[in-house]
Amino acid sequence: MSRAKRIMKELQAVKDDPEAKITLEFVIESDIHHLKGSFIGPPGTPYENGAFVVDIEVPMEYPFKPPQMKFDTKVYHPNISSVTGAICLDILKNAWSPVITLKSALISLQALLQSPEPNDPQDAEVAQHYLRDRESFNKTAALWTKLYASAAYGDKEVDEAELYGINSDVVEEFESQGFEKSKIIEVLRRLGIKSLDPNDNATINRIIEELLK
Amino acid sequence: MDLGNNEMFLSNDMLHEKQGHNSLIEDNIITSINNSRRGSLVTQDSEFELDDALLTGSDLDYDYEDELDDMIVLPITNAKRKQINEGGVPNLEYECLTTKDIFNRMLERVNHLQPIFSLPLEDIIILMQHYDWNEERLLEKWTDKMDDLLTEIGLIHENGNLTVNERGVALKEDFECGICCEVKSVEVFSLECGHEYCIECYRRYIQGRLHSGNIITCMGCSVALKNEDIDEIMGYESSNKLMYSSIKSFVSKHHRNYKWCPYTDCKCIIHLDDTSSLSEYSRLHYSPFVKCNALHRFCFSCGFEIHAPADCDITNAWIKKARKESENLNWVLSNTKECPKCSVNIEKDGGCNHMVCSSCKYEFCWICEGEWAPHGKSFYQCTLYKNEDGKYNKSSSQEANKLMKKYTFYYRMFNEHEVSAKLDWKLGQTVGIKVKSLQEKIGVSWIEGQFLAESLRTLNEGRTALKWSFAVAFYSDPSHNLTKIFVDNQALLSKAVEDLSELLQIKDPELIMRRKPDFYNKAGYVQNRTNALMECGRDLLCKGICKLTD
Repeated sequence: MSRAKRIMKELQAVKDDPEAKITLEFVIESDIHHLKGSFIGPPGTPYENGAFVVDIEVPMEYPFKPPQMKFDTKVYHPNISSVTGAICLDILKNAWSPVITLKSALISLQALLQSPEPNDPQDAEVAQHYLRDRESFNKTAALWTKLYASAAYGDKEVDEAELYGINSDVVEEFESQGFEKSKIIEVLRRLGIKSLDPNDNATINRIIEELLK
Repeated sequence: MDLGNNEMFLSNDMLHEKQGHNSLIEDNIITSINNSRRGSLVTQDSEFELDDALLTGSDLDYDYEDELDDMIVLPITNAKRKQINEGGVPNLEYECLTTKDIFNRMLERVNHLQPIFSLPLEDIIILMQHYDWNEERLLEKWTDKMDDLLTEIGLIHENGNLTVNERGVALKEDFECGICCEVKSVEVFSLECGHEYCIECYRRYIQGRLHSGNIITCMGCSVALKNEDIDEIMGYESSNKLMYSSIKSFVSKHHRNYKWCPYTDCKCIIHLDDTSSLSEYSRLHYSPFVKCNALHRFCFSCGFEIHAPADCDITNAWIKKARKESENLNWVLSNTKECPKCSVNIEKDGGCNHMVCSSCKYEFCWICEGEWAPHGKSFYQCTLYKNEDGKYNKSSSQEANKLMKKYTFYYRMFNEHEVSAKLDWKLGQTVGIKVKSLQEKIGVSWIEGQFLAESLRTLNEGRTALKWSFAVAFYSDPSHNLTKIFVDNQALLSKAVEDLSELLQIKDPELIMRRKPDFYNKAGYVQNRTNALMECGRDLLCKGICKLTD
């Protein structure tokens, strides 16, 4: 069976190249359709030093059909769903070609972390953040990397506002008016507001309107 | 019974056939037929048909196809047909084309581009397809970035024009294919770019891409495979499929003027050059019915079967309703959406909400079905989804129940006639045999036996009209007098249709011949009742008694 042979060969190729810092292994040894891959976040980006795990499902028609990939690790990135880990990348869809390997697909994901495509977003909220305030976006993405893509993941207490890059002053402002914190964050996320000018009454009114719904 | 009367009930198709065999038909009979059909919904221009018949009458032959409408297959050339409605709608001039004709038109269309591109015509067709048959955009790109364009369609390699390797299939010893990773002695297909893979992998790869209608490139880079390469690899004329999908793209891009015959496996295409009269048709609640070379009749506007007395709107609403109510199609509704542009049903198989229609390449958002472009840039919220949820809960359950009951009643009637139509179709298959046995057992000439086929056709038309009349009845105001008349008409036609259907069950050839006058009478009566019902239905529509409610 050529598919099994090819997958085995691809695994070997990954093992033969430890420099790339990419791993690829079966979830269960007996099932060649389900693999997990991982790679290191590209240096010089908010994803630096993170280890990102990708779930890979290899279809029967592989390599003539693309593998289905999604992030297991939570990633804050315009082209990756912050909820499901779904990836919007052309080579995993119609631009797939049989010469692309699982390794090269993982490298493409690494490249995707390096250069987001905010104009073709998978996660509109994140993409909006990216386009409006790059600095704040980078901070949030780096926080997510630290929280979810590092070894010490799970131990730390995180402030929910910080997790979505929302300025804590804004949340406190509305909390002091008697609104519930989770509700405030939900509304601010939905409206895509991360920080607030205290004189911007139009926006404040809009937030209050939403909070009162 | 004299010949004149007998001929009264033959449709013009029959007339058309008879013309070749039987020169006894005189002009006055033709006129009398036309007079007798005055007031019918769709009559064909007899004069034109006559010409047609003279052209084709000499080589009449027929075969017993398994399809009812193919009972009499006439070698009709692509001569234009004409249609006249006596109720004041303009003529509909159309022609029936084959895929080959369309291909020739595509060639014609790109022919004048050849001096500019100096590429093979087939490549220009692919380029045109790539640019949605938008010549201007293609030429603009050509003048601006000729090299990009050539790279795009894979005629030159990204790194210059490499001609180191030979293109073609060759047998190689101990070849390791980069795709399947097998090492074996196998036929290998190589391209100028130096990429070579085993022929089995190429076959699977091409198989998966043949229907996309796009250029198939080397698996390793963007060098394009030519049609002859594809045929060489696949070992048969696969490139035809590629061409076929590009023909499909041409037809769908010019869908205003070209329509595929909707019947299964029929590859006819109707071309209507002047569509200006279509609006007049819909204003008067007529439908522009056309007939393809395989004698399938359908509506040019909505691409559905003949649906008179219902108009396209009623038909559309009825079909949608039937779909919505049907358990079997629930899946389609919950898992698929129609492409907002070309109405192809699209299934979302996971991944992001950025949908690209595989048929028309329209990009849209799965949630709100709006165009994708604004989502990318200004991130508006998709709210339509929520609104829709609210809408469904609006009508109170009691109201809905009542409506459901009404619908179920009409749908049952509609369905019954659809089932009967299928049984009639089976009957049709036996009619051919009956005609043959008439010929063999009691020496009746072929043409004399044709009243059977004709009766069957009339039966079929009556049945279809009856079926669709229930859609009209469903949307009509039940308290209005005209609706009551309409319902009476339905009952009359229903009775007439059943009588004729019963008559067609007779198997004994001698009895059939003895009852020939009955056939004419009953078929004639069905014809009249059908016309009456159609007129009445159109009246309901024109007067707004039958209309769609929100």
